[in-house]
Amino acid sequence: MSNHNSDSPKHLKHYFANVDQQYETSKFAMWAFILTEVLTFAGLFVAYIVFRSWYPDMFVDAHKLLDVNKGLMNTIVLITSSLTMALAIWAIQKNNRKLSLLMLIATFVFAFCFLGIKFLEYSHKFEVGQLPGEYYSYMGPEVVHLNNPHIFFSIYFIMTGLHGLHVAIGMGLIAWLIYATYKGNLSSEYYTPMEMIGIFWHLVDLIWIYLFPLFYLIG
Amino acid sequence: MSEHHITPLRTYLIIAASLLFLSGVTVWVSYVDLGPLNIVVAMLVATVKASLVAFFFMHLLWDDKKNLTMFLMSLMFFGIFVTITLLDTEFRGDLDLNPEVKDPINKRAAFYDTLPLTDSHGHPVDEHSDDHHEDKDHH
Repeated sequence: MSNHNSDSPKHLKHYFANVDQQYETSKFAMWAFILTEVLTFAGLFVAYIVFRSWYPDMFVDAHKLLDVNKGLMNTIVLITSSLTMALAIWAIQKNNRKLSLLMLIATFVFAFCFLGIKFLEYSHKFEVGQLPGEYYSYMGPEVVHLNNPHIFFSIYFIMTGLHGLHVAIGMGLIAWLIYATYKGNLSSEYYTPMEMIGIFWHLVDLIWIYLFPLFYLIG
Repeated sequence: MSEHHITPLRTYLIIAASLLFLSGVTVWVSYVDLGPLNIVVAMLVATVKASLVAFFFMHLLWDDKKNLTMFLMSLMFFGIFVTITLLDTEFRGDLDLNPEVKDPINKRAAFYDTLPLTDSHGHPVDEHSDDHHEDKDHH
Protein backbone atom coordinates (compact mmCIF):
# COMPACT_ATOMS: atom_id res chain seq x y z
CA MET A 1 0.00 0.00 0.00
CA SER A 2 2.98 2.26 0.47
CA ASN A 3 3.24 3.04 -3.22
CA HIS A 4 -0.24 4.54 -3.22
CA ASN A 5 -0.76 8.06 -2.15
CA SER A 6 -3.43 8.70 0.41
CA ASP A 7 -6.01 10.08 -2.02
CA SER A 8 -6.24 6.92 -4.14
CA PRO A 9 -9.80 5.51 -4.00
CA LYS A 10 -10.39 2.87 -1.35
CA HIS A 11 -11.87 0.41 -3.86
CA LEU A 12 -8.61 0.41 -5.85
CA LYS A 13 -6.69 -2.82 -5.24
CA HIS A 14 -3.01 -2.34 -4.67
CA TYR A 15 -2.05 -4.58 -7.59
CA PHE A 16 -3.65 -2.26 -10.16
CA ALA A 17 -2.00 0.91 -11.42
CA ASN A 18 -5.24 2.88 -11.49
CA VAL A 19 -9.00 2.51 -11.39
CA ASP A 20 -9.35 2.39 -15.16
CA GLN A 21 -6.96 -0.52 -15.44
CA GLN A 22 -8.84 -2.28 -12.65
CA TYR A 23 -12.19 -1.69 -14.35
CA GLU A 24 -10.98 -2.83 -17.78
CA THR A 25 -9.40 -5.95 -16.30
CA SER A 26 -12.61 -6.88 -14.51
CA LYS A 27 -14.60 -6.40 -17.66
CA PHE A 28 -12.26 -8.47 -19.81
CA ALA A 29 -12.38 -11.28 -17.22
CA MET A 30 -16.17 -11.05 -17.25
CA TRP A 31 -16.17 -11.53 -21.02
CA ALA A 32 -13.88 -14.52 -20.64
CA PHE A 33 -16.51 -15.95 -18.29
CA ILE A 34 -19.25 -15.13 -20.82
CA LEU A 35 -17.25 -17.12 -23.39
CA THR A 36 -17.34 -20.18 -21.14
CA GLU A 37 -21.05 -19.64 -20.60
CA VAL A 38 -21.72 -19.52 -24.34
CA LEU A 39 -19.73 -22.73 -24.77
CA THR A 40 -21.69 -24.41 -21.96
CA PHE A 41 -24.90 -23.72 -23.79
CA ALA A 42 -23.24 -24.49 -27.14
CA GLY A 43 -23.19 -28.20 -26.31
CA LEU A 44 -26.92 -28.15 -25.68
CA PHE A 45 -27.60 -26.15 -28.84
CA VAL A 46 -25.61 -28.75 -30.79
CA ALA A 47 -27.76 -31.50 -29.26
CA TYR A 48 -30.82 -29.53 -30.33
CA ILE A 49 -29.54 -29.11 -33.90
CA VAL A 50 -28.56 -32.77 -34.29
CA PHE A 51 -31.84 -34.18 -32.96
CA ARG A 52 -33.97 -31.67 -34.84
CA SER A 53 -32.25 -32.63 -38.08
CA TRP A 54 -32.89 -36.30 -37.26
CA TYR A 55 -36.53 -35.79 -36.22
CA PRO A 56 -37.89 -32.69 -38.01
CA ASP A 57 -41.53 -33.85 -37.82
CA MET A 58 -41.36 -34.90 -34.17
CA PHE A 59 -40.09 -31.44 -33.17
CA VAL A 60 -43.01 -29.81 -34.99
CA ASP A 61 -45.53 -32.15 -33.31
CA ALA A 62 -44.03 -31.97 -29.82
CA HIS A 63 -43.61 -28.19 -29.78
CA LYS A 64 -47.39 -27.85 -30.10
CA LEU A 65 -47.58 -29.12 -26.53
CA LEU A 66 -45.82 -25.94 -25.33
CA ASP A 67 -47.78 -22.80 -24.50
CA VAL A 68 -46.73 -19.98 -26.87
CA ASN A 69 -48.50 -17.36 -24.75
CA LYS A 70 -46.48 -18.24 -21.66
CA GLY A 71 -43.31 -18.28 -23.74
CA LEU A 72 -44.07 -14.85 -25.22
CA MET A 73 -44.97 -13.51 -21.78
CA ASN A 74 -41.61 -14.72 -20.47
CA THR A 75 -39.86 -13.09 -23.44
CA ILE A 76 -41.49 -9.76 -22.67
CA VAL A 77 -40.74 -10.09 -18.95
CA LEU A 78 -37.09 -10.90 -19.59
CA ILE A 79 -36.54 -8.11 -22.15
CA THR A 80 -38.13 -5.62 -19.74
CA SER A 81 -35.90 -6.87 -16.93
CA SER A 82 -32.90 -6.37 -19.21
CA LEU A 83 -34.02 -2.78 -19.78
CA THR A 84 -34.42 -2.11 -16.05
CA MET A 85 -30.99 -3.64 -15.40
CA ALA A 86 -29.44 -1.35 -18.04
CA LEU A 87 -31.28 1.61 -16.51
CA ALA A 88 -29.99 0.69 -13.03
CA ILE A 89 -26.45 1.03 -14.38
CA TRP A 90 -27.37 4.23 -16.21
CA ALA A 91 -28.76 5.68 -12.99
CA ILE A 92 -25.70 4.77 -10.90
CA GLN A 93 -23.47 6.30 -13.60
CA LYS A 94 -25.45 9.50 -13.07
CA ASN A 95 -25.02 8.98 -9.32
CA ASN A 96 -28.78 8.61 -8.86
CA ARG A 97 -28.70 5.92 -6.18
CA LYS A 98 -32.43 6.01 -5.49
CA LEU A 99 -33.43 5.40 -9.12
CA SER A 100 -30.76 2.72 -9.44
CA LEU A 101 -32.15 0.93 -6.39
CA LEU A 102 -35.67 1.14 -7.81
CA MET A 103 -34.54 -0.30 -11.14
CA LEU A 104 -32.67 -3.15 -9.43
CA ILE A 105 -35.76 -4.04 -7.44
CA ALA A 106 -37.82 -3.97 -10.65
CA THR A 107 -35.29 -6.30 -12.30
CA PHE A 108 -35.54 -8.66 -9.34
CA VAL A 109 -39.33 -8.66 -9.51
CA PHE A 110 -39.32 -9.36 -13.26
CA ALA A 111 -36.86 -12.21 -12.72
CA PHE A 112 -39.22 -13.61 -10.11
CA CYS A 113 -42.13 -13.32 -12.59
CA PHE A 114 -40.10 -15.21 -15.17
CA LEU A 115 -39.48 -18.09 -12.79
CA GLY A 116 -43.11 -17.99 -11.68
CA ILE A 117 -44.37 -18.42 -15.26
CA LYS A 118 -41.74 -21.12 -15.82
CA PHE A 119 -42.98 -22.88 -12.68
CA LEU A 120 -46.55 -22.88 -14.05
CA GLU A 121 -45.30 -24.38 -17.32
CA TYR A 122 -43.17 -27.01 -15.61
CA SER A 123 -45.84 -28.04 -13.11
CA HIS A 124 -48.36 -28.55 -15.92
CA LYS A 125 -45.86 -30.70 -17.80
CA PHE A 126 -45.08 -32.75 -14.70
CA GLU A 127 -48.79 -33.26 -14.16
CA VAL A 128 -49.50 -34.63 -17.64
CA GLY A 129 -46.20 -36.49 -18.01
CA GLN A 130 -44.58 -34.45 -20.77
CA LEU A 131 -41.23 -35.28 -19.27
CA PRO A 132 -37.71 -36.09 -20.41
CA GLY A 133 -36.54 -39.54 -21.41
CA GLU A 134 -38.15 -42.56 -19.84
CA TYR A 135 -40.26 -40.40 -17.50
CA TYR A 136 -42.36 -39.34 -20.47
CA SER A 137 -45.88 -40.71 -20.20
CA TYR A 138 -48.16 -38.30 -22.08
CA MET A 139 -50.30 -40.10 -24.62
CA GLY A 140 -53.00 -37.42 -25.15
CA PRO A 141 -55.34 -37.26 -28.16
CA GLU A 142 -52.50 -36.30 -30.48
CA VAL A 143 -50.39 -39.02 -32.02
CA VAL A 144 -47.13 -37.44 -30.89
CA HIS A 145 -46.09 -40.56 -29.00
CA LEU A 146 -45.61 -42.37 -32.29
CA ASN A 147 -42.30 -40.61 -32.91
CA ASN A 148 -40.31 -40.18 -29.71
CA PRO A 149 -41.43 -36.84 -28.23
CA HIS A 150 -39.49 -37.71 -25.05
CA ILE A 151 -36.33 -36.58 -26.89
CA PHE A 152 -37.83 -33.14 -27.48
CA PHE A 153 -38.72 -32.85 -23.81
CA SER A 154 -35.27 -34.04 -22.70
CA ILE A 155 -33.71 -31.17 -24.65
CA TYR A 156 -36.44 -28.73 -23.64
CA PHE A 157 -36.07 -29.42 -19.92
CA ILE A 158 -32.28 -29.39 -19.88
CA MET A 159 -31.96 -26.17 -21.89
CA THR A 160 -34.73 -24.21 -20.19
CA GLY A 161 -33.71 -25.75 -16.85
CA LEU A 162 -30.11 -24.59 -17.14
CA HIS A 163 -31.39 -21.21 -18.30
CA GLY A 164 -33.76 -21.08 -15.33
CA LEU A 165 -30.86 -21.88 -13.03
CA HIS A 166 -29.05 -18.88 -14.49
CA VAL A 167 -32.09 -16.71 -13.80
CA ALA A 168 -32.12 -17.95 -10.20
CA ILE A 169 -28.39 -17.25 -9.77
CA GLY A 170 -28.92 -13.84 -11.38
CA MET A 171 -31.64 -13.11 -8.84
CA GLY A 172 -29.21 -13.87 -6.03
CA LEU A 173 -26.62 -11.54 -7.55
CA ILE A 174 -29.18 -8.79 -8.08
CA ALA A 175 -30.35 -9.17 -4.48
CA TRP A 176 -26.77 -8.61 -3.39
CA LEU A 177 -26.56 -5.53 -5.68
CA ILE A 178 -29.71 -4.14 -4.07
CA TYR A 179 -28.07 -4.56 -0.67
CA ALA A 180 -24.79 -2.96 -1.81
CA THR A 181 -26.54 -0.04 -3.47
CA TYR A 182 -28.76 0.48 -0.44
CA LYS A 183 -25.70 0.51 1.79
CA GLY A 184 -24.16 3.16 -0.46
CA ASN A 185 -21.19 1.00 -1.46
CA LEU A 186 -21.72 1.72 -5.16
CA SER A 187 -21.56 5.10 -6.85
CA SER A 188 -20.66 6.68 -10.18
CA GLU A 189 -17.03 6.38 -9.04
CA TYR A 190 -17.26 2.64 -8.47
CA TYR A 191 -20.03 0.49 -9.93
CA THR A 192 -17.96 -2.37 -11.38
CA PRO A 193 -20.04 -5.15 -9.72
CA MET A 194 -23.25 -3.73 -11.17
CA GLU A 195 -21.76 -3.50 -14.65
CA MET A 196 -20.52 -7.11 -14.48
CA ILE A 197 -23.75 -8.54 -13.10
CA GLY A 198 -25.51 -6.50 -15.77
CA ILE A 199 -23.50 -8.27 -18.47
CA PHE A 200 -24.39 -11.62 -16.91
CA TRP A 201 -28.06 -10.69 -16.78
CA HIS A 202 -28.09 -9.59 -20.43
CA LEU A 203 -26.49 -12.91 -21.38
CA VAL A 204 -29.40 -14.69 -19.71
CA ASP A 205 -31.74 -12.54 -21.84
CA LEU A 206 -29.66 -13.24 -24.94
CA ILE A 207 -29.89 -17.01 -24.52
CA TRP A 208 -33.64 -16.84 -23.98
CA ILE A 209 -33.92 -14.84 -27.25
CA TYR A 210 -32.76 -18.02 -29.00
CA LEU A 211 -34.57 -20.55 -26.81
CA PHE A 212 -37.95 -18.91 -27.39
CA PRO A 213 -38.18 -19.36 -31.18
CA LEU A 214 -36.33 -22.69 -31.09
CA PHE A 215 -38.84 -24.32 -28.73
CA TYR A 216 -42.10 -22.40 -28.93
CA LEU A 217 -42.22 -21.23 -32.54
CA ILE A 218 -41.26 -24.21 -34.71
CA GLY A 219 -42.99 -24.47 -38.06
CA MET B 1 -14.09 6.31 -13.89
CA SER B 2 -15.67 9.55 -15.00
CA GLU B 3 -14.75 9.03 -18.64
CA HIS B 4 -16.92 5.91 -19.07
CA HIS B 5 -19.38 6.26 -21.86
CA ILE B 6 -22.87 6.91 -20.54
CA THR B 7 -25.47 5.70 -23.01
CA PRO B 8 -28.33 8.19 -23.35
CA LEU B 9 -31.63 7.09 -21.81
CA ARG B 10 -33.35 7.48 -25.18
CA THR B 11 -31.08 4.83 -26.72
CA TYR B 12 -32.02 2.27 -24.05
CA LEU B 13 -35.71 2.92 -24.52
CA ILE B 14 -35.50 2.67 -28.33
CA ILE B 15 -33.54 -0.61 -28.08
CA ALA B 16 -36.01 -2.11 -25.61
CA ALA B 17 -38.95 -1.06 -27.81
CA SER B 18 -37.24 -2.62 -30.85
CA LEU B 19 -36.66 -5.86 -28.92
CA LEU B 20 -40.31 -6.08 -27.91
CA PHE B 21 -41.42 -5.26 -31.46
CA LEU B 22 -39.13 -7.95 -32.93
CA SER B 23 -40.46 -10.48 -30.40
CA GLY B 24 -43.93 -9.79 -31.76
CA VAL B 25 -42.65 -10.11 -35.33
CA THR B 26 -41.04 -13.47 -34.64
CA VAL B 27 -44.28 -14.85 -33.16
CA TRP B 28 -46.35 -13.49 -36.04
CA VAL B 29 -44.01 -14.82 -38.72
CA SER B 30 -44.04 -18.29 -37.13
CA TYR B 31 -47.73 -18.58 -38.08
CA VAL B 32 -46.95 -17.79 -41.72
CA ASP B 33 -45.96 -20.90 -43.62
CA LEU B 34 -42.66 -20.20 -45.33
CA GLY B 35 -41.59 -23.83 -45.50
CA PRO B 36 -37.93 -24.31 -44.65
CA LEU B 37 -37.48 -20.52 -44.58
CA ASN B 38 -39.37 -20.30 -41.26
CA ILE B 39 -36.36 -21.36 -39.21
CA VAL B 40 -34.09 -19.05 -41.22
CA VAL B 41 -36.30 -16.03 -40.57
CA ALA B 42 -36.69 -16.96 -36.88
CA MET B 43 -32.93 -17.25 -36.41
CA LEU B 44 -32.32 -14.03 -38.36
CA VAL B 45 -34.72 -12.09 -36.12
CA ALA B 46 -33.19 -13.70 -33.01
CA THR B 47 -29.71 -12.72 -34.16
CA VAL B 48 -30.76 -9.11 -34.76
CA LYS B 49 -32.26 -9.07 -31.23
CA ALA B 50 -29.15 -10.68 -29.75
CA SER B 51 -26.94 -8.10 -31.49
CA LEU B 52 -29.01 -5.25 -30.08
CA VAL B 53 -28.65 -6.71 -26.58
CA ALA B 54 -24.91 -7.33 -26.97
CA PHE B 55 -23.99 -3.98 -28.53
CA PHE B 56 -26.24 -1.66 -26.54
CA PHE B 57 -27.26 -3.30 -23.26
CA MET B 58 -23.91 -5.04 -22.80
CA HIS B 59 -22.10 -1.89 -24.00
CA LEU B 60 -19.96 -3.76 -26.54
CA LEU B 61 -20.37 -0.90 -29.02
CA TRP B 62 -18.44 1.50 -26.78
CA ASP B 63 -16.13 -1.03 -25.13
CA ASP B 64 -12.57 -1.80 -25.97
CA LYS B 65 -12.77 -4.17 -28.96
CA LYS B 66 -10.99 -6.95 -27.08
CA ASN B 67 -14.28 -7.70 -25.32
CA LEU B 68 -16.13 -8.00 -28.61
CA THR B 69 -13.32 -10.23 -29.88
CA MET B 70 -13.76 -12.52 -26.89
CA PHE B 71 -17.50 -12.77 -27.53
CA LEU B 72 -17.09 -13.42 -31.26
CA MET B 73 -14.53 -16.12 -30.48
CA SER B 74 -17.12 -17.98 -28.43
CA LEU B 75 -19.46 -17.89 -31.44
CA MET B 76 -16.66 -19.04 -33.72
CA PHE B 77 -15.95 -22.04 -31.47
CA PHE B 78 -19.67 -22.79 -31.45
CA GLY B 79 -19.58 -22.78 -35.27
CA ILE B 80 -16.69 -25.26 -35.31
CA PHE B 81 -18.49 -27.42 -32.74
CA VAL B 82 -21.68 -27.54 -34.84
CA THR B 83 -19.91 -28.10 -38.16
CA ILE B 84 -17.74 -30.98 -37.06
CA THR B 85 -20.60 -32.68 -35.20
CA LEU B 86 -22.93 -32.40 -38.21
CA LEU B 87 -20.21 -33.82 -40.49
CA ASP B 88 -20.70 -36.99 -38.46
CA THR B 89 -24.42 -37.07 -37.71
CA GLU B 90 -25.67 -35.93 -41.12
CA PHE B 91 -23.75 -38.49 -43.14
CA ARG B 92 -24.03 -41.64 -41.05
CA GLY B 93 -24.48 -44.79 -43.09
CA ASP B 94 -23.83 -43.05 -46.41
CA LEU B 95 -21.04 -45.48 -47.23
CA ASP B 96 -23.42 -48.47 -46.87
CA LEU B 97 -20.81 -50.35 -44.84
CA ASN B 98 -23.33 -50.83 -42.07
CA PRO B 99 -26.90 -50.04 -43.13
CA GLU B 100 -28.15 -50.14 -39.53
CA VAL B 101 -26.23 -46.99 -38.71
CA LYS B 102 -28.46 -44.91 -40.96
CA ASP B 103 -31.48 -43.50 -39.13
CA PRO B 104 -30.51 -45.42 -36.01
CA ILE B 105 -33.32 -44.30 -33.75
CA ASN B 106 -36.12 -43.47 -36.09
CA LYS B 107 -38.55 -45.99 -34.64
CA ARG B 108 -40.75 -45.44 -31.66
CA ALA B 109 -38.70 -46.01 -28.52
CA ALA B 110 -39.42 -49.35 -26.83
CA PHE B 111 -40.57 -47.92 -23.52
CA TYR B 112 -43.67 -46.43 -25.17
CA ASP B 113 -45.14 -49.91 -25.40
CA THR B 114 -44.97 -50.50 -21.66
CA LEU B 115 -46.03 -47.03 -20.51
CA PRO B 116 -49.11 -46.49 -18.40
CA LEU B 117 -51.12 -44.30 -20.75
CA THR B 118 -52.44 -40.91 -19.66
CA ASP B 119 -54.73 -38.44 -21.37
CA SER B 120 -54.30 -34.67 -21.72
CA HIS B 121 -55.33 -34.19 -18.08
CA GLY B 122 -52.84 -36.69 -16.76
CA HIS B 123 -55.53 -39.29 -15.98
CA PRO B 124 -54.66 -42.86 -16.81
CA VAL B 125 -56.41 -44.35 -19.80
CA ASP B 126 -56.62 -47.99 -20.80
CA GLU B 127 -55.81 -48.60 -24.44
CA HIS B 128 -57.25 -52.11 -24.39
CA SER B 129 -60.43 -51.40 -22.45
CA ASP B 130 -62.22 -54.31 -24.17
CA ASP B 131 -60.31 -57.13 -22.54
CA HIS B 132 -60.26 -55.44 -19.07
CA HIS B 133 -56.56 -55.93 -18.96
CA GLU B 134 -54.85 -53.95 -16.20
CA ASP B 135 -51.33 -52.85 -16.96
CA LYS B 136 -49.50 -52.49 -13.69
CA ASP B 137 -46.01 -51.67 -14.87
CA HIS B 138 -43.25 -51.02 -12.43
CA HIS B 139 -40.41 -48.81 -13.58
